[in-house]
Amino acid sequence: MLGARGLVVLLAVLALAPLVLPPFFLQLLTEIAIIGLFATSFNLLMGYGGMVSFGHAAYFALGAYAAALLVRKGGVPMLLALPVAPLVAAVGALAFGFFIVRLSHTYFAMLSLAFGQIVYTVIFKWKALTGGDDGLLDVWPPSYLKSPAAYYYFALAVVGLALWALAAIVDSPFGYALKAVRENPRRARYIGVNVRRHQLLAFVISGLFSGLAGGLFAFYNGSVFPDFAYFTKSFEPLVVALLGGVQAFGGPLVGAFAFKVLEWLISRQWPVYWPLFLGSVVILVIVVLPQGFVGLFGRRPWARSAGSS
Amino acid sequence: MDLITQLFPWITNGPLITVQVMSGLSVGMFLFLVSVGMSLIFGVTRIVNLAHGSFYMVGAYLMVSLVEVLPDRPWAFWVALLVAPLGVAALGGVIEVGLLRLIYLRDPLMQLILTFGLILVISTLVLLAWGPDNKSVSRPEALAGSVSIVGQPFPSYYLLVLGLAPVVAVALWLIFYRTRWGMLIRAATVDREMLGALGVNVALLYTQVFVFGSWLAGLGGALAAPTVAVALGMDGDVLTTAFVVVVIGGLGSFAGTFISALLVGLLQSFGILIFPAVSIVLLFAIMAVVLIVRPWGLLGRPEA
Repeated sequence: MLGARGLVVLLAVLALAPLVLPPFFLQLLTEIAIIGLFATSFNLLMGYGGMVSFGHAAYFALGAYAAALLVRKGGVPMLLALPVAPLVAAVGALAFGFFIVRLSHTYFAMLSLAFGQIVYTVIFKWKALTGGDDGLLDVWPPSYLKSPAAYYYFALAVVGLALWALAAIVDSPFGYALKAVRENPRRARYIGVNVRRHQLLAFVISGLFSGLAGGLFAFYNGSVFPDFAYFTKSFEPLVVALLGGVQAFGGPLVGAFAFKVLEWLISRQWPVYWPLFLGSVVILVIVVLPQGFVGLFGRRPWARSAGSS
Repeated sequence: MDLITQLFPWITNGPLITVQVMSGLSVGMFLFLVSVGMSLIFGVTRIVNLAHGSFYMVGAYLMVSLVEVLPDRPWAFWVALLVAPLGVAALGGVIEVGLLRLIYLRDPLMQLILTFGLILVISTLVLLAWGPDNKSVSRPEALAGSVSIVGQPFPSYYLLVLGLAPVVAVALWLIFYRTRWGMLIRAATVDREMLGALGVNVALLYTQVFVFGSWLAGLGGALAAPTVAVALGMDGDVLTTAFVVVVIGGLGSFAGTFISALLVGLLQSFGILIFPAVSIVLLFAIMAVVLIVRPWGLLGRPEA
């Protein structure tokens, strides 16, 4: 189990990585950090709030496109564009989440998927603004952040701060109220917790940090594509969180590490087989390890709240 | 009125509207074939089968291979159309018995994620088996051309779909409402535990329903093969549209799926005329509105 303190130690170790690792591995670590943030913000909903979104790629993509558009079309410098990414994603999460949190379980998942597909289609179709299928290219950070090591430090610092904020949120009274809502929404309501408002706030916070991850990814990748919002992308944080464990704060980070390293190892040798491998692992984890991977996924948080709303 | 005719010049063009309605209906019929299996599987097993689009894709690819393998005779197409869905049904059976049966009692979201894993596995296997290039199936000779409907050309192959889907719909209705098996299926959608307590072999019923639903998806894919480029990625496209149809109609509702498939078909057909840019967005927007106002769909039942 990786608590907030262990996380800080880990970040310190990561800070020394550029001294020994070649650029390729720094890029891999940068991507792990970004996907880790994405999955951790997703897990605020799934692990702590008991809400499973099937359209979280939408907020990742909103952030990525907001940042990319500001830089490409608005000529805004990256350091000003990046903070806008989470805000745009949060506005999107507020608008969609307002409706999504009114539903429970399967219907919650389905409505979040529907909104996710709306975002995807708008990005895909609105060629004049988003470039449609061709995406937006040439979204690089300024020269002083362009080297793998520089962007690695930058991404690590931003992700570290974001994770610290998320950890603080989880540990706050709000975080505990959210867990109470997950465990038993009816009882939470009886003791005076505004269930919907807590769920919506969690949804917006989760969207906000997903958007930040999207913005960071846009500059890491140097380009953005409609695929960022496609429903298959929405399963990435879900699978990552599932692999690492949804009960611990650091679970999704461990999952992101395992996911990206495996992806690299397998895609390098047999790129075609990666989806086959990922799909098989997901199926195996669910069928063979009902109690979860590496014991972290011990107690399914939403199982307790099933049947009530 | 002038403004309307200016904005939509086709509105006074009766023949165009007729053809548009017919093509919308045939799209709707396709959608019905694919969606009703998904809805049926959900109704009985409570699993939202995200791999349903993958079954449809496998049906189309099997059609490609069968037409290639069979001798170049007029009957080859029809034999392939008969056999391809059976292959998909067999695949569905293997998946139900080998995987889904193990997790019926688990959290519904775990089941959803498992069927998502199936999407990844099946799409890779299809890529390995058939390669990355798009395939095509030529239409049978008798239906290769187009017929003239009120002066407008209309592909005759779509007439087959327009004719076949209602036959399937009527057959399904008869199965659901006039046979013992159909009665068991309807009973299972209402109360599975009670059905089991009454001595019905529910596990067997689940397998049968899943196989039958897979067969329908395969039939949809096999029928669609001559009208589209058979390509990787058709699984996701079909899945999202079928998903919209099933949700709007009401998960597990047979009549709801039929009405909603026709509505969505017409909407796609006219949406392209009226709002070419946003027709797909419109689809998801309607689905979102339905989920917000009536989460259980037009004709579904609210969750107990």
